[in-house]
Amino acid sequence: MIGYRFGAPRELPLGTDQSGHLLPWIVAVLVYLAGLSGVGLIVLGDTLRAFEHALHTTLTLQVPAEASNARLETVLALLRQTPGIVSVHLLEPAETARLLEPWLGPVPLDELPVPRLIDLRIDPTAGTDLAALRRQLASVVPDSRLDDHRQWPEGLRAAVRRIEGILGLSITLALLLIAASAMLAVGAALMVEGSPIKLLHVLGAADSDIARGCAVRSLRLGLLGGGIGAVAALLTILALGGAGSVVQLPAPITVNGAADWRVWGVLTGIVPVAGLIAMASARVAVRRRLAGMP
Amino acid sequence: MAVVKLEGVEKRGDSGAQIISDVSLTLEAGAFYFLTGASGSGKTALLRLITLIERPTRGSLTLFGADTAALDRNAQAALRRRIGIVFQDLWLIDALSAGDNVALPLRIAGAPEDQVRDNVAELLAWVGLSGRGDARTATLSGGERRRVAIARAIVRSPELLIADEPTGNGGEEIALLLVRIFERINRLGTTVLIATDDIAFARRFEHPRFHMDHGMLIDAGAAAAAQ
Repeated sequence: MIGYRFGAPRELPLGTDQSGHLLPWIVAVLVYLAGLSGVGLIVLGDTLRAFEHALHTTLTLQVPAEASNARLETVLALLRQTPGIVSVHLLEPAETARLLEPWLGPVPLDELPVPRLIDLRIDPTAGTDLAALRRQLASVVPDSRLDDHRQWPEGLRAAVRRIEGILGLSITLALLLIAASAMLAVGAALMVEGSPIKLLHVLGAADSDIARGCAVRSLRLGLLGGGIGAVAALLTILALGGAGSVVQLPAPITVNGAADWRVWGVLTGIVPVAGLIAMASARVAVRRRLAGMP
Repeated sequence: MAVVKLEGVEKRGDSGAQIISDVSLTLEAGAFYFLTGASGSGKTALLRLITLIERPTRGSLTLFGADTAALDRNAQAALRRRIGIVFQDLWLIDALSAGDNVALPLRIAGAPEDQVRDNVAELLAWVGLSGRGDARTATLSGGERRRVAIARAIVRSPELLIADEPTGNGGEEIALLLVRIFERINRLGTTVLIATDDIAFARRFEHPRFHMDHGMLIDAGAAAAAQ
């Protein structure tokens, strides 16, 4: 009896050269970077939404320091009666001083004409008429100023969009590099002296069978590398204490590492994507190379 | 019936240098031929044309009655599967076992695994490698590797067997043994073409010979007459 082990039935031995051994590690690094970029996109999106939510519900009214208490009380009463304003909070001088301290240092409020600040919370769905409110306030305290924070996030929004574009580009580049790596691995396999791919071709294997074998091999290597990269990315996020801790979010919308299904979605979704890209690229590359052979 | 027919075949290298010049040659079914010539005479280049590893620059090549220039890739692959080749450098996959190397042509043809197992076991025993099927070819001796290459070439009972310097430098006894193996295959109906630079060795047999010199076939007629 001759005892020896055979490979899987009808499977061509396309993984016997050294050319593809680096592929999983290259894919792992690229999936790691793409995965973190994807999670970064989630964090940025959430951050922007949180800021916008906070800023769309907040107004600040500045009443000149020289305004009398009676006028101040009139302003407060006017605000409380205005439809859509859900809370009115007059900042105490000490609170105002704390807000100014980062810019001005310890502020002697009694020596400076610092305006009184009134923090307003509004219902963004109530359609508060801010122009009318400004006119009413001006009739009570002519130099009062109502700050609508909804304008200044435009700059922030544009900056976030640019960063999102960069992250999206990073993901695209990582996926393109996976494709290029898989193609280079096929090229390297054919450059090897005594290449199994060439041997199979010479022994009569159909191009489609060789291409399928190479594609399946690249799929396996891509999935392996993708899995390693995704696990590494998840460990990184967990080590940071959850993606939400990367930035201080102003609202209760957070990305919390392993607890956020979107993180799992990105990190598990990118693995088959990497595998499929590696598979398709290897298939295209080997078909092209074989077409160049007699 | 002609298994191989070359008419006015030329082959130029990438640099444009003439490697094969105006070769016309016919190999009849079931015959046994030697192709002799000094190293660099063009023997290997001619074998690479016949085995469809290279295309002729000019001329026609007919294999098993089919004009190879008119065939699509799948049909060419099908022709290759009808040819057994013993490469000069053997071209074994060292990461595979001897058995898996021998099994390659069967797996390429999509043979059922039980047939693969039986045929490979039989062939390994036939070339004297019983019990060595599980060994990596990288661990085998030069003679054993040569026998694995021969077993791979004949495992599918090819209609045409091409062997490029199959005797290597294993000595006369080994060379005689290998020729006897090829003769046994030939008696089963396989056309055999053996290339060797040992002209004196080839002359010891009654088989027709072609001789190549500087890319030209110089006594094809003598070979045909000797049949």
